[in-house]
Amino acid sequence: MKIDRFNVRERFVHWLVAISFVYAALSGLAMWSRHLFWIAGVLGGGETVRALHPWGGTIFALVLGVMFSRWASQMKLDAADREWLAKSGRYMVNDEKGMPESGKFNGGQKMLFWVEAAFALLLFLSGAILWFPEITPRVLRLGAVLVHPLAAIGSIGGIIVHIYMSLFAVPGSLKAMTEGYVSARWAKAHHPKWFRQRTKNENESAR
Amino acid sequence: MQTVAKLIDTSLCIGCKACEVACQEWNDQEFTLGTFGGTYQTMPQLEHNFWNLIKFNEFETDGQMSWLMMKYQCMHCQDAGCMKACPSPGAIVRLPNGTVDFNHDNCIGCGYCITGCPFDVPRLSPETKKVYKCTLCSDRTAVGLEPACIKTCPTNCLTFGTRTDLLRKAEDRAHELQADGLQHAGVYNPAGVGGTNVIYVLKDASAPESYGLPRDPTIPWTVSLWKGPVKVLGSMVFLGGILGTFFHYIRYGPKKEEEHADED
Repeated sequence: MKIDRFNVRERFVHWLVAISFVYAALSGLAMWSRHLFWIAGVLGGGETVRALHPWGGTIFALVLGVMFSRWASQMKLDAADREWLAKSGRYMVNDEKGMPESGKFNGGQKMLFWVEAAFALLLFLSGAILWFPEITPRVLRLGAVLVHPLAAIGSIGGIIVHIYMSLFAVPGSLKAMTEGYVSARWAKAHHPKWFRQRTKNENESAR
Repeated sequence: MQTVAKLIDTSLCIGCKACEVACQEWNDQEFTLGTFGGTYQTMPQLEHNFWNLIKFNEFETDGQMSWLMMKYQCMHCQDAGCMKACPSPGAIVRLPNGTVDFNHDNCIGCGYCITGCPFDVPRLSPETKKVYKCTLCSDRTAVGLEPACIKTCPTNCLTFGTRTDLLRKAEDRAHELQADGLQHAGVYNPAGVGGTNVIYVLKDASAPESYGLPRDPTIPWTVSLWKGPVKVLGSMVFLGGILGTFFHYIRYGPKKEEEHADED
């Protein structure tokens, strides 16, 4: 049995966020260290990267804003999520006995959502300052050169875990974001509360 | 090769601005009219096409107006903040004679050097989207000529030579001025940036701010953090993330659906 998880609009928005993030991250890494400057060569040269990275970041911020407004209401942490997070050490070692049941998103996914959104906001604000060094106040730039890489490190670190979870750690997850559905078994195993909600009212209008 | 330097003796500057003209001429810069600030100063700040500015700092003592005139340009720091901040290999280079020079073929125009510079010198050109500053006339010094500003100075306020010689000369001159009654005369060669290849003799070295020079310039600490510990942190997070998730998979493997299904 298939259960719809993400509708086509959600999938489009997610992948626009993902693609613009990957571009912004790679072009940013090219300007982050001289040892990674070779990435600039792959992306069309240093001047191109310098010119387009801020636009990539702007597009990322815009589509992320759309994703944020669509998902924020579903990402509120409830008591069960907080308990889940307190016991997340067990989740990491695949020993989930006694952990609270998750809804559509578990506590970890919700935290990733908020943390990445916060990092994105920091990246956008500090990035706007670094975009125009000739006109932005020096004291703001001196802060931005720390905030921008730190937020980038945090967000890339989070996304490494996100990609690992979806591709390898939780088999069957990727289909939710490509074709839009998961198996009933998957839903029951990883998001039992959501599975029960979905099977109770069988109207499959994706929500 | 010996490090070369430029000595600026502010006590001899008459504010003729010949060095400004020589700089524009030799470097083939078009003069674009900037802001007129109601002073004798050509423009308020350095520009991407104006690398050498005589600052006319006005001050008053006992109701008498006088000037602290001073030539302002790239200081060619021994520990250069622009070089530390630059992400593009070969865009900012240190020549064998110690000069900090920009190679515009490699400059990507990010402007990080503007933030890294403690003297607020590099300027981004809106046309070429690249950053410019004084080259210490590297195209002249390479063939044994002195920089254009020094060549043209009519009062011997400017001297070109090896850094070692000029530092000695600067100390001598400061002592001379002290003996003449300027008891605060001294040398400006700030240690915070490892010393500079542009050395000043100031009539009042106790207050470099009155000349528009920072008292104790250093590479900004946020820039040093960014290019030091933050880089290490980043490498640790990226490598740790990739290796950590890989070995997590090797140790714990994927989550199983069956086990959970059985619990119900």
